Amino acid sequence: MTNVHKLVQQNVEMDMTPMIDCVFLLMIFFVLVIDLSQKNLEDLILPRAVFQEPDDSPPDNRPIINVLQNGSVVYNQQVFYDPDKHGSDFRNPATAKPIRDLLVAIRTTGITEKKLKLVEEDIGGKKVQLIDDPILIRADKWTEWNFVGEIMKQCSQPDVAFWKVELAMSEQDKETGEKNPKLKGQNQ
Amino acid sequence: MSALDDAQEEVKGDMTPMIDVVFLMIIFFICIDFKVLESKLPAYLPKDKGSQSTVVEPQDQLSVRIHVDTDGTKDYSKSGPGAGPGVININTGRAYRFALVNHKIKWEVGATPLYKLEDVKAELTRIAKDPNSQVKDPKTGGKKLMACVVEAMPGTYYDDVAKTTDACNEAGFEEINFGGGLGPAKK
Repeated sequence: MTNVHKLVQQNVEMDMTPMIDCVFLLMIFFVLVIDLSQKNLEDLILPRAVFQEPDDSPPDNRPIINVLQNGSVVYNQQVFYDPDKHGSDFRNPATAKPIRDLLVAIRTTGITEKKLKLVEEDIGGKKVQLIDDPILIRADKWTEWNFVGEIMKQCSQPDVAFWKVELAMSEQDKETGEKNPKLKGQNQ
Repeated sequence: MSALDDAQEEVKGDMTPMIDVVFLMIIFFICIDFKVLESKLPAYLPKDKGSQSTVVEPQDQLSVRIHVDTDGTKDYSKSGPGAGPGVININTGRAYRFALVNHKIKWEVGATPLYKLEDVKAELTRIAKDPNSQVKDPKTGGKKLMACVVEAMPGTYYDDVAKTTDACNEAGFEEINFGGGLGPAKK
């Protein structure tokens, strides 16, 4: 009787190690794959930075504007400007209106939610309110400059006033596999 | 005899933790490969020009022009089967990506024509170190390195401008302006 009792007790004991291993594996997998900060990033191939330093600790409040190869402007996975729909001749002010509206909306929302900081500067004797936080433009390496240049132009307008424009580049060219020479040095 | 059994038992190793660790490392390295590190190139816009209705004294600037030498051809072969101009990838909802093959550009730094990025960087560094490149700083009254203006001609791509700006930054130019308004490439 006592022997049977012992056997039953032995069967109940479970080795938790594999389960904990699996949980850790799953945790690491999801932490790496579902990175919320990446959701604003479109799948683009950026030009390779030869001399620039890496973007180590980007601020959380930095708006990210993506520009696709055809010139479409994407923000938070939504297309706000499409050259096929809105045209691409920026000499007509109506063409760039969706881009300008988007930047104004980002500014307004950022200020209302206190994510973007405004500074007042005295420029030429006039008080001007500028956004003191950066904005990142991510464009595919084979996007015509005309589209990126227009976004920068709109950033400089007084009702937008994002002056800290940053252009995104990559440490490695995913198209050719070329790496930043500084990275190569670190790997050696 | 029993001592021999003990010795044999000690030799047996539990492989499970090692396999676990190997799997962890495989998953880690597979996932890390998706995330290519990005760099940022500061292209700060002038606060006191363009958008503001203030009178600004004209200053000497170094012109860096980017001209298209060869347009290049669009190559969709690496984007998967069925990829082509205007075709939407049903998995991403975006148009298929192309690579531009044989796209060549040339630069004009001041009046000097150049054909390689390394030469552009060397020329920019030479100019940055030249005492004649120092101009009057209207804010402080002292001297500062003149600004350079990157002028991208129609048909140039983001890659061309970003690499040129990267070279200007590396050469020591702190004030980099962008000439624009030149319109899209002729189709």
